[in-house]
Amino acid sequence: MTPRLFLILSIVEAASIGGVFLLYPQITRHGLLFGVYVGEEAASGAEARRITRSWYRGMIAWIAASVIVGAVLGAAIPHPAVAVAPALFLVPGFFILYLRAYGQARRIAHPGAPPGVAVVTETSAPSSVFPPIALAVALACGLFAIAYSWSAYDLLPERVPTHFGISGAPDAFRPKSFFTVMLSPLLALIVGVGIGGVAWLTAHAKRSFRYPASLTSVTAQIRFRLAVTRLLCWVSLIVSLFLTVMSVSMIRVGLGREQTLSPAVWVLAPVLLLGTLGGVVYIAVRYGQGGARLEDAASGGRLTDGLADNRHWVLGMFYVNREDPSILVEHRFGLGYTLNLGNWKAVALVGGFVLALLILALAALVTM
Amino acid sequence: MGTLLYTYQYTEAEMRPIPSVVVDRSSPEPVYVQIARSIRARICSGEIASGTPLAPVRTVASDLGVNLNTVARAYRLLEDEGFVQIRSRSGVEVAPPAGKSDREAVERLQEDLAAVLARMRQAGVAPAELRRRAEKEIGAIERLE
Repeated sequence: MTPRLFLILSIVEAASIGGVFLLYPQITRHGLLFGVYVGEEAASGAEARRITRSWYRGMIAWIAASVIVGAVLGAAIPHPAVAVAPALFLVPGFFILYLRAYGQARRIAHPGAPPGVAVVTETSAPSSVFPPIALAVALACGLFAIAYSWSAYDLLPERVPTHFGISGAPDAFRPKSFFTVMLSPLLALIVGVGIGGVAWLTAHAKRSFRYPASLTSVTAQIRFRLAVTRLLCWVSLIVSLFLTVMSVSMIRVGLGREQTLSPAVWVLAPVLLLGTLGGVVYIAVRYGQGGARLEDAASGGRLTDGLADNRHWVLGMFYVNREDPSILVEHRFGLGYTLNLGNWKAVALVGGFVLALLILALAALVTM
Repeated sequence: MGTLLYTYQYTEAEMRPIPSVVVDRSSPEPVYVQIARSIRARICSGEIASGTPLAPVRTVASDLGVNLNTVARAYRLLEDEGFVQIRSRSGVEVAPPAGKSDREAVERLQEDLAAVLARMRQAGVAPAELRRRAEKEIGAIERLE
């Protein structure tokens, strides 16, 4: 990789990731300020504007620093792994600036407990059919990849390809073992089903309305939730297909039936990357966090319960409410949903998923 | 910047108020009583018509951030009072007024009515004002028939 290519990569990477971070205040629901519920009036006040301006200044400086770090490191160490340097530099800066803004917003936090509001009649919430389909496809793809790899296990040579170059030809081989052969199909099953499961949970995530409640707030919530659900289903589908094609292709190369990975791998990878990024940007611009951009057009009510109750949020990022049966709740600052850490089911589900990935990674390291 | 990027135009139907329950956690009144009272008031005012399906227990509990049992208890209370019917498969729906009155239940409610009127009188409401208020409520019920 040339230094110029590194510079371009650093700018694109830092600008796209940093740009999303930078614009978070633009998509946040009205009344929230950097993870703190300050009330609708204070959110438009002079102090809130000062905190937000300070955030913009800090983030722009940090994004610029990330680009420079990426370019300098790229020129000094010409290795593809250095391409992630701008992102690694950007993320801690984001959290430092966020925590500073959070601390400032705490000073103007809205006191007391907000009312809880629920819509008691059945709204015409479209019950998304996509999550069960995404889960079924992920399960089918994962099981197919496992069955195919397992059936070919005895036919594979003593050394199997474990890494492939940009041309799709293998450039690293390892002795055949259970994990060198089965790692990829197991990953296809766990990741595909995991993302499909998150999509299903998102379809049932907690809603936070404005009071007095009107359909504007409810519709905004439902549309946003549906959009995120569909995006996750799409990601689950493409990830499952990508990892399944990859697994089957690796086995076929190992068996000597193909010389390089299937061309479908090179098609699915950019489709996954660009589609996911495009989907995130589309949801942010069209809906805003929690449908904030749809709400702002018409609703003047106050945020209620979950999102507005500062007592249930740790650092404005972690929702902990033992009474609340919800598993997923909206992020206060950012895009999408986060876990209710007060719900043991939420903790068990994510813990199980992370544990499965960890076991897989550790077993692969030990046996490979 | 918000309006520059995208502005959603709502239809009139989307702007109308929607029946909702409001819970005040700082109130000494138990949450399930507040939920039941809120739904009862909306049924009595005609805001929620008979036959309307109510949101499932899980949805209401998630919206409010309260325990599932709290909402289930509120629904059971409303069922005991005859305001809703709980069906295991089709969920909960608002019940129509009973076609034939249950003599024992009516006698019990008559006592409750007497107690409420007495409490209002004790609270300083004059008998003429009591009559006016009672007639207003009866008028509201007649309009729903």
